[in-house]
Amino acid sequence: MKNQSQFGQSISRRGALKGLAATTAMASLPTSVLAQDTTIRWWSPQGAPAQVDAYMAQIAAFEAANPGVKVVFETTSDEGYAPQLAAAFSSGEVPDIVTHLPSFAIQSYYANGLVEPFNDVIEAIGADDYYDGANDVFKAADGNYVGTGIGNSAANMLWLRTDLMEEAGIAEAPRTWDELRAACQAMQKNGIFGAPLPYGRNSMTTLIFVGVIHQAGGQVFDTDLNVALDNQATRDALEFYASMRELCPPGATNYSWGEAITAFVSGATATGIYTGRVLGNVNAQNPPIADSVTCVRYPTKSEDIPAWTFNDFPSVFIPKQSRNIETAKAFAASLFNPDGYIQQLHAAPGHVLPVLKSINENPQYQANEIIQKYPEEVELMSQAAAGGFNLGYESAAHPSNEKAGEVVGSGAIADMVQRVVLNGENVDQVIGETTKTIEDIMAG
Amino acid sequence: MTQPTKTLLERRYSMLGLLLIAPTVLVFCAVIVYPLVSAVYLSLFKIFTPTLEGSWVGLDNYRTLLAKGEFWTSLRNNLIWTVGTLSLQILFGVGMALVLHQNIWFRSLARSLILFPYFISTVVAVLVWKWLFNDLYGILNHLMMSAGLIAWPIDYLGSMPNAMISVILVGAWKYFPFVVIAVLARLQTIPEQLYEAARIDGAGPIARFFDVTLPQLRDVLVVIIMLRAIWDFKEFDLIFLLTGGGPVTSTQTLPLLVYKEAFALNQMGMASAYAVIMMLIMLVFMIVYIRRTRQEGS
Repeated sequence: MKNQSQFGQSISRRGALKGLAATTAMASLPTSVLAQDTTIRWWSPQGAPAQVDAYMAQIAAFEAANPGVKVVFETTSDEGYAPQLAAAFSSGEVPDIVTHLPSFAIQSYYANGLVEPFNDVIEAIGADDYYDGANDVFKAADGNYVGTGIGNSAANMLWLRTDLMEEAGIAEAPRTWDELRAACQAMQKNGIFGAPLPYGRNSMTTLIFVGVIHQAGGQVFDTDLNVALDNQATRDALEFYASMRELCPPGATNYSWGEAITAFVSGATATGIYTGRVLGNVNAQNPPIADSVTCVRYPTKSEDIPAWTFNDFPSVFIPKQSRNIETAKAFAASLFNPDGYIQQLHAAPGHVLPVLKSINENPQYQANEIIQKYPEEVELMSQAAAGGFNLGYESAAHPSNEKAGEVVGSGAIADMVQRVVLNGENVDQVIGETTKTIEDIMAG
Repeated sequence: MTQPTKTLLERRYSMLGLLLIAPTVLVFCAVIVYPLVSAVYLSLFKIFTPTLEGSWVGLDNYRTLLAKGEFWTSLRNNLIWTVGTLSLQILFGVGMALVLHQNIWFRSLARSLILFPYFISTVVAVLVWKWLFNDLYGILNHLMMSAGLIAWPIDYLGSMPNAMISVILVGAWKYFPFVVIAVLARLQTIPEQLYEAARIDGAGPIARFFDVTLPQLRDVLVVIIMLRAIWDFKEFDLIFLLTGGGPVTSTQTLPLLVYKEAFALNQMGMASAYAVIMMLIMLVFMIVYIRRTRQEGS
């Protein structure tokens, strides 16, 4: 006897089950297959609410101009992007576009065949509109561009409180380490610390200390990319950094970017070290000190050593494993459309600076309240960032260092700082062991 | 001698048995055997994590790691963390379970609230503790400075031995409710006559605890210690989020070292070798646990 379902005489139980299975299978199909839609995933570590609002506006504009395309924004973090991307690359589940990562990270990925060349996107944006040399840092050994800058940043500006300087009888912004130390000592009182330098085991300590080595006249690698730490400049840098410890809050031993900016913006320290994000944060979170804030390039060991600005060259790149490369390229180019790009830059004025001349000259960009309030500071940061470098590109004479991302990720330089400054270990031994560690990483 | 031939029904029952057990075997192979074999296999290669491409190196990864001071430092930290946090979990857990076993006001509410640290997400718990420990705005430093106990804020997470002590304390706070649940359940099954007999014999509260309660809790405590030792040994998120393994490598345990090798240095082969060594160490705990449960079963 044939079993009949309760739905009616004409439908058997087996037929109903087959129908149910077919319906389930249809429902589980990706909607993009059904509707021929495309979804692209965008990753960025820059996820402040105002910035995300700006990204959403850019996404909305792109989606409106490209029916059937959906862009999903996902945040990563400055400390967490490397493991997340490593997992994404190894699993093949990559984002279609990644922004705001430091340039040295992309070089490493490109060298391993994980990144799509970006030449055509740069052409679409307008190669002539970039500041001179703005894309040099993104040039690979094969002549291709691995990405482009979505902005510039001057990450190690010295932020000062003019009111506290005046109280302490300091007339001029410090130019040398000795002057900086003296200024911090004079301003460290009434519960306010001198500086919020990072001593944590994290990338900020590494990146800031690379700058300090350069401010001592040294470098991490020579122009042949041999490790060049074992010299007097590194010893001077460590000595300076150790001498600043007593002028920093006790918890600076665990500071990273968030703690460092909060310490200055909240008024807990008399000086700060950060990008131009300080300007927006001070005005939003601590207006009483907003008129007493200024910045200069970070002091060096002596006046004859030129300032060295750390620019991580926030980037845009497209993973090669993306299944929507052409759409991702179109979206990448659209990020530089004036309206959206300016809104994105205004979301953190002075923090991410424009890489296109036409944007910097655009009255709409200049009309921002913060940029108008601090024209000298923004101009100084723009100049400093334009002449800035990072561990993947230590000077104009250095070739691109494809292993810089792994050197930063290893924490070897932060460990060196902690061992000497916090543990008081023998400097020569620590520098020797750090050199060996970095050499091993370079040897692959 | 020939074996008796199985009937059709018996053969069908055998087939049905195999069929019914097959999904479990498949799932077991997929989630236990495959990752285990993969980890051992990967540990014999030098592999770049993002591309998973590499070359055969045999046992070189193991030779390298055993010669590395960082491995032994991390293992030592791992043992300090495990022993430290586990001891406090047992101490707090048993103590709290004894309190909650008494007829106290709001006992039901207290029993529910005590589980709060265990249920809360580790990320949230760490964020809260980092604020409590904060040097400039943390309530701990604020209260101690207000009370005149200290002149300057204490650096809880960035200097030693404070960092290890802080991590151990937060771990104990987070996981002691597990001990409370298990011990409380056992306390409720201890026959009241044992306590009455002890009282008649003149035993006071302390003697009753050591002579009646503790022996009765022994079996459950052994199981708790074994399980929590395994879980604490492989703890990653709490330590990583609190200190990142610092200062230097003072709180870096083996799971953090695995993570660093795999994702910061992109050395998946070396990371797998560390993971295999960790597995071997935990195997010791597991063997003790299995033996113990078998003994109880028999």
